[in-house]
Amino acid sequence: MATAPELLPYGQIREDLFRPLGGVSRRYVLTLVAAMSVVLLGAFAWFTQLRDGMGVTGLQRPVFWGFYIVNFVFWIGISHAGTLISAILRLTDAGWRKPITRAAEAITVFALMIGGLFPIIHLGRAWFFYWLVPYPNERLLWPNFRSPLLWDLMAIMTYVTGSVLYLYLPLIPDMAQLAEHATLWRRRVYSILSLGWTGSDREWHALERAMKLMAGMILGIAISVHTIVSWDFAMAIAPMWHSTIFGPYFVVGAIFSGLAALLIVMALIRSTMHLERYLTWHHFNNLAKLLLLMSLLWTYFTASENLTVWYGNEPDEMAVFGARTRGAFAPYFWAMVILNFCVPFVLLGVKKFRNITTSVIASVCVLAGMWLERYLITVPTLSFPRLTTATSFHYAPTWVELAITAATFAGMVMLYLIFAKLFPIIAVWEFKPHEEEE
Amino acid sequence: MYLFAEFHEKAQLTAAIRALKDAGAKDDDLDLFSEEPVELRRGVLDRPSKMSLVSVIGAVVLGTAVTSFVYFAQNNYKLITGGMPTFSFWATGVISFEMTMLGGVAATFGWFLWESGLLRKRDAATPVPLVAPGAISLRVRCASERAAYVSDVMYRAGADSIELKAA
Amino acid sequence: MSHRWGMAIDLDRCTGCEACVAACHAENNLPLSNPEEAAKGRAVHWIRVEHYYEGEFPDIKVKHRPVLCQHCDEAPCEPVCPVYATYQNPEGINVQVYNRCVGTFYCANNCPYTVRSFNFFPPEWPEPLQMAHNPDVAIRMGGVMEKCSFCIQRVKRAEGEGANPQPACVQGCPAEAMVFGDLNDPESKVAKLAKSGRATRLLEELGTKPKVFYLEKTS
Repeated sequence: MATAPELLPYGQIREDLFRPLGGVSRRYVLTLVAAMSVVLLGAFAWFTQLRDGMGVTGLQRPVFWGFYIVNFVFWIGISHAGTLISAILRLTDAGWRKPITRAAEAITVFALMIGGLFPIIHLGRAWFFYWLVPYPNERLLWPNFRSPLLWDLMAIMTYVTGSVLYLYLPLIPDMAQLAEHATLWRRRVYSILSLGWTGSDREWHALERAMKLMAGMILGIAISVHTIVSWDFAMAIAPMWHSTIFGPYFVVGAIFSGLAALLIVMALIRSTMHLERYLTWHHFNNLAKLLLLMSLLWTYFTASENLTVWYGNEPDEMAVFGARTRGAFAPYFWAMVILNFCVPFVLLGVKKFRNITTSVIASVCVLAGMWLERYLITVPTLSFPRLTTATSFHYAPTWVELAITAATFAGMVMLYLIFAKLFPIIAVWEFKPHEEEE
Repeated sequence: MYLFAEFHEKAQLTAAIRALKDAGAKDDDLDLFSEEPVELRRGVLDRPSKMSLVSVIGAVVLGTAVTSFVYFAQNNYKLITGGMPTFSFWATGVISFEMTMLGGVAATFGWFLWESGLLRKRDAATPVPLVAPGAISLRVRCASERAAYVSDVMYRAGADSIELKAA
Repeated sequence: MSHRWGMAIDLDRCTGCEACVAACHAENNLPLSNPEEAAKGRAVHWIRVEHYYEGEFPDIKVKHRPVLCQHCDEAPCEPVCPVYATYQNPEGINVQVYNRCVGTFYCANNCPYTVRSFNFFPPEWPEPLQMAHNPDVAIRMGGVMEKCSFCIQRVKRAEGEGANPQPACVQGCPAEAMVFGDLNDPESKVAKLAKSGRATRLLEELGTKPKVFYLEKTS
């Protein structure tokens, strides 16, 4: 086993982690430009939709929610990578979290920024999205606080605030150090952002205390956020949506996909930034095992959701269930089962197969599978409404939805590339040479 | 009058702090500077904090305020939807929960800025030591006639170097 | 006592001629569609006629059921709207405020009757059809939800004149299968029909308490 990064000399750690911030390689520029062009394409697609109307999408009666809502749930799910995982690891004081937390928290913030856009993108009149905000106005009209969409707005607002602060707090000491080492505009930016941090023990005590408290609160927020996202569906009386299992089911699915995203990002960071000594097999092994655990939990929830529906044999629900398991949506359903259960179970469950490459392969499969899962929750239910004559045109996305979906992934790459150039992707100060006395 | 003493071993630092406090130094006169958090045993150099209390208060205040606002807003413009009560505690409960959490987060962050001294006006005359990586600098505030005594105490505890700075 | 508007539709009388659909289109300025959009399920209808077939030809029984907004007392579409674009007005009509709608689609997803239509594109009328618009009904812009309003413009006008209101579909029904009126008035025809024992309500088991009653021979 490789040396634990904690045992490296401190000066070496700092040098290794600050080095990727300086200079840009050709590959970096090319990737960034490619990602930006896809984002621009997505922006153009959204512009087309705003100009011409929602008709440029594949939405139709009765399938009023399509790719946008799928992406919304998917990205909010990815956002659970960070804060939730890093909060759990921080609260349980798992030492191996140290090189992972910041990478994970950054995923959270960016995934939330992307996911949070979709409720606006999917609006018929997106330019009036602020009508959901309770601001005083001359007609004394307030929003309807009984609507799950208002809950959503509040939950995501809280989650964004919490996770940005949660990312920012442990960045302060690192930025103070960077300010000493950087020049020109970087120096100014870092010293403003680090708020004049001097490294006194009062500051450290306050920071560690705040991080502990935040970790506790962010845990509650993250669980509530994805529960509320699931309630967007579960509060509706549509067949197979109106289910009490949705809250925990979505939370588990979110952590599952978040972990997968984190594994992929970590593997990329490790190879592109040459941080092999910091992100070791130890970390990947632990995360891979966690991913396997979540895969089994997810399978358990999927089984209990579908079994109760099948056994209950209620006609409206059976129409959706049938379409999902043996009808038009069956290929997606069984692909989802293979991607989310079979592949991780074999690749990560068998010790001989488990290594960094296979855990990345499993993670990619899980991401695809979890995207399909959200699609299978959203679209089949809407395709089979209770009055059968109102059924069922086949929803298919248009180029606009595909471009915007592609832009979200490119947007993630773009934001992450920029972030990794501005801030050390591993919290330097967390490798404390001054270990706590027993 | 300020004294900077640089330490590399936590045991020596602890000994120095204990000796200084025996000689009458107060917690407020002592500050540690380092590039990473230094955790000392309880009772050596405690920094009591009200952060937990403040975050609970922040949570309760914002949660209550928003719940009352929702109560006001719903009754201010009564509209019937879906046979629900005008103000439904359960439907609003989700918003109350989220805003309670937001209050807690905001109060924690605000109190962090206050307690760490980052947002307070700082005395520009107070010198801040430059710390080498891995070292811990102990800043002691004392009267100038006691400086020789204090530095002697710290040398005996194992300080690597001591610097004097006039206030 | 305020009004509580409701409707009774006699399925034993309905011939499935869809005159109600045509009348509704003319009265309420429904946007026109084209074959491509209609094939995608985007044609806007506030009322549709569902056809049910029993048995094999020639021994076949056909049933028609006009489905419009059921104006539920406890409408699932209402609480989910974040901006109050749809709510229960004091006379029991489930109203849609087009100018307030931001287009979250949530109401349509939560409507078990699938009677809500969305303006996927801004509506267009070829010349000179825009001259035939009903001036009492607003033209909806693209991006908002719309649905049957029980011809609220006719209800309001009839209230002003002290007459009995008649929505366009009711007036247009040649078989006189549809009856509209005040459910709070025990003498009204619709209230009597609603209590007649032939009345059922659509998807009543969901607890939505619709105000549209379907009359059928119960054997």
